Amino acid sequence: MKSIKKILSCISLAAVTGIATSTASADVNVAYFLEWATPNQVAKVEKVYDEALGEKVNWVNFATGTAMTEAMLSGDIDIAFSQGMTPFVNAVNANAPIKMVGIAVAYGAGGDCVVSDKSGISKENATELEGQSVAVPLNTMSDYELRLTLSSLDVDITKIKIVDQEPADAAVSLADGAVAMACGFGADSLSKMKEVGKPMLTLDEKTAAGITSFDIVSVTEKFIQENPEAVKTFMEVTSQANADFAKDQSKMDVIAKDAGLTLEKTKEQMAGFSFPSVEEQMAEYFNEDGKVAKVLPFMGNMFATEAAPAKDDYSSVIDTSFLK
Amino acid sequence: MFDFLFEYRGVIVGTIFVALIAAVIWAFFYGRKLIRTEKNDAVFGNPARALGGWHWVITGVSAILIVWLYFSWDAARAFHPKAANELCQVAKLSSAVNPIRSTFPLEKEFLKGTSLLVRENAQLSELEERVERLGFSETEKAKAKETIDLMRAAITGMTSPEYLDAETSSQFKSIEARIDDLTAKLADENYPGEPTTEQVAAAEKNARWGDSGNEIPNAPASPRGYKFDAAAKEMKSIASDFSKIRNKNENFLAQIEKLKAQIASLDELAQASPGVDELLVQNRADFVKGLTRVLRRVDDGNIFPPDALNNVQAALVKLDDEQKSQQGGLRFYDTFMMPGGQITSGSSSCSEQGSGRWLPKPSDTLRTFARISNPEIGYKGYPLLWYKMKPFGEMVDFVLPDFISSLVPGKFPRHDENGIVTPNFKSKVHDIVTGNFESFKVPMPSGHVWDSLLRVLAGLFFGIILGVPLGLFMGLSRFSKGFFDPMIELYRPVPPLAWAPLILTIFGIGDDGKIFLLFMVAFAIMVISARTGATGTHLSKIHAAHSLGATNRQILRKVILPNSLPEILTGIRIAIGVCWGTLVAAEMLAGTTGIGFVENVARKQSDYEIIWTTIIILGLLGLLFDLMMRWIIDKVIPWRGKG
Repeated sequence: MKSIKKILSCISLAAVTGIATSTASADVNVAYFLEWATPNQVAKVEKVYDEALGEKVNWVNFATGTAMTEAMLSGDIDIAFSQGMTPFVNAVNANAPIKMVGIAVAYGAGGDCVVSDKSGISKENATELEGQSVAVPLNTMSDYELRLTLSSLDVDITKIKIVDQEPADAAVSLADGAVAMACGFGADSLSKMKEVGKPMLTLDEKTAAGITSFDIVSVTEKFIQENPEAVKTFMEVTSQANADFAKDQSKMDVIAKDAGLTLEKTKEQMAGFSFPSVEEQMAEYFNEDGKVAKVLPFMGNMFATEAAPAKDDYSSVIDTSFLK
Repeated sequence: MFDFLFEYRGVIVGTIFVALIAAVIWAFFYGRKLIRTEKNDAVFGNPARALGGWHWVITGVSAILIVWLYFSWDAARAFHPKAANELCQVAKLSSAVNPIRSTFPLEKEFLKGTSLLVRENAQLSELEERVERLGFSETEKAKAKETIDLMRAAITGMTSPEYLDAETSSQFKSIEARIDDLTAKLADENYPGEPTTEQVAAAEKNARWGDSGNEIPNAPASPRGYKFDAAAKEMKSIASDFSKIRNKNENFLAQIEKLKAQIASLDELAQASPGVDELLVQNRADFVKGLTRVLRRVDDGNIFPPDALNNVQAALVKLDDEQKSQQGGLRFYDTFMMPGGQITSGSSSCSEQGSGRWLPKPSDTLRTFARISNPEIGYKGYPLLWYKMKPFGEMVDFVLPDFISSLVPGKFPRHDENGIVTPNFKSKVHDIVTGNFESFKVPMPSGHVWDSLLRVLAGLFFGIILGVPLGLFMGLSRFSKGFFDPMIELYRPVPPLAWAPLILTIFGIGDDGKIFLLFMVAFAIMVISARTGATGTHLSKIHAAHSLGATNRQILRKVILPNSLPEILTGIRIAIGVCWGTLVAAEMLAGTTGIGFVENVARKQSDYEIIWTTIIILGLLGLLFDLMMRWIIDKVIPWRGKG
């Protein structure tokens, strides 16, 4: 009997401390990616966010956007900076209470589909890919890019053997000749892929095919309801950081250090990025039939599953009121 | 067939749930009775005390299922299928109240204004300390301090009730009145009146709870639902009006204007002073920036006199009490039948959060399992486990190596001018070894499960074939023990995933790499168990065989091998378990098929039903293999544990 009482008291103690720790975090918790250089990292390092918000900002790094969603749903993260569209769409399809409040990064060259030189395939004879293997990290932006690339080149995706590989592994398979084409992201993996092959489409061709890649800022609905002014301030500081960076790029080393990249890699990566200003976001992304309005339903249908079907209307998960 | 079951899932799940509880209770009393009636004089430590007890197996399995049914809210859904829809409407109201609610110390410790006040004052104090370190002259210092004092005064201007203008107080009064009005409406039986035709139509269109991916039917469908839905809509407009209220009294606005001018002049001062070193200029700029930031937050006017909001809070508490009493039994149902989370309302739909989300309902999991078991659907266009008619040629191709055709003298034929290829003997051989000929078809199993099974079996096979002889050898020979021991012991503790990057470059993306990974795991276990078995043979038995004139071969086959069989079979049993455990990692390398691949893809989509399906498949396969091994152990070494 005594031991049962002991166990019970232990459990209740654990429960109480658990509750205490979960309510103690009044700070703002932001998720971000390492090795993903963005101008607001200057503001992050210089504590501009903390000062502007008047709260402690905890930056937590994540490996995948899906993990960001999970953390947001468990209440550990309030704002996810630079979450990919794919995990966001998957989360929305699964009824997760999160909203998109702005664009973090737009990148044409952030991801690519690279065909190996050995295969002798280019966009002129792209249908030869049918019957061959293609490596791609499934359910990511690269997956989306692959499907759009193939459909723009009239290649039948069902005849291709898809191999699910992370970009770094995909680069190895491409070099080995195990796959004819590899799709991926990340500066390191892409440069390795391009050593043994060429991108299937140029940047202009990708734009023409409707392949636009951008990462977003997503916020939990609870945080929006309770701290609308904090979200607004966060977006203001971010756009200020972007504007500062556009004028003066002397703080590249700060970004490089915070992103965990070398200065050279950072420069290379950021050359392929653009950071749309508030006006650009409203004019190009969030306007009627803008990029978001086009891409969101398209991706929603692409990644819909039986358990998480596509929504009829995605406009309710977009909140642009914090950009004005 | 499954659709029919799914139609009546409520009844089925409910019956099963009750039956399971009954089984646990019955097994408990049966166990008690058994202890009383059974004469058992086995002392503690006697293995006979662990014999039998199948009723405890029932208890254990039932307990797992009860926990699963309970925490996944499947039981809740079975007994009250409409609960989620009603709770969704309740969640809509509480989500609508949230913007107002979060400003009050109802769940939080402090009033929002209080925490803002504390925060701004702390920042001001910090700025005040900084003034000394900026190298200002006395007059400049005085000016900076004056600005900070002015800021404090401005904040006081907001907290002091005497400055609160009539308009703001009337706005609060109207919010209060509207909340009170809503509370009265909630209490009113007839609110919001008969549902409109659109509402009825929407309610009829509702799917059942969890029928489609849209977990929870969103449109209100019951009188209570209509009430909460209407209240939520009203509350939304109240909340939006509330969040627009700003403390903009005359006094405060005047002070803000003054402050702005003051900060601007301070900024000029900081910039204009020549001959100051760069760092100091930067620090001064930061100081002014800091002041501006505080001003911008104070400017929002979110702080009010301490008691200005009391009535709104009281109204909110009343509303809260009323909506709780309106929920009635639903509230208790939520607490007791839907533990570990709640239903929350998002912008477009309601969703289950907590264990209801990540622990899929058993009935749904079963349906998903049935769906992807259908070979027409499968997962990613590949069935779970089915058969496929494969031409016999493919098997020939698999068995015969391709280089045989290059051994045949002569050259492969070329096409002639008319574009016709005339086959010669060499090309015919080539056709045969590559399986490129017309042949009858044989049914062969295929699918994710089959592929995984083949990989595990292949890895195990090679592990046993190579590991057992080496292990025996190591147990018997000084050379091989010394020679192989460091190698085996060095690689054995390395987790299989650590080999993954290497294996990809060595073996590529085919099956061989995955099989090799599994082989590595099985091999080490087999070597060690065979070695332990060989060294554990009783010397007396070997001596006896020797005296009877046995050769070395005979001793190995007739004495040492049978004696180490128990260890080897236990080793195989462990290796099977570890191989299934490594499979997910192995199939992560370059996923094309397999259960591990299914899980890896589902993970990226947070598709918990598929994830749990794969977990259950893996568990069942592991259990099946283990039962098989137990049976084999019983048959092959019946003397085990009896010597």
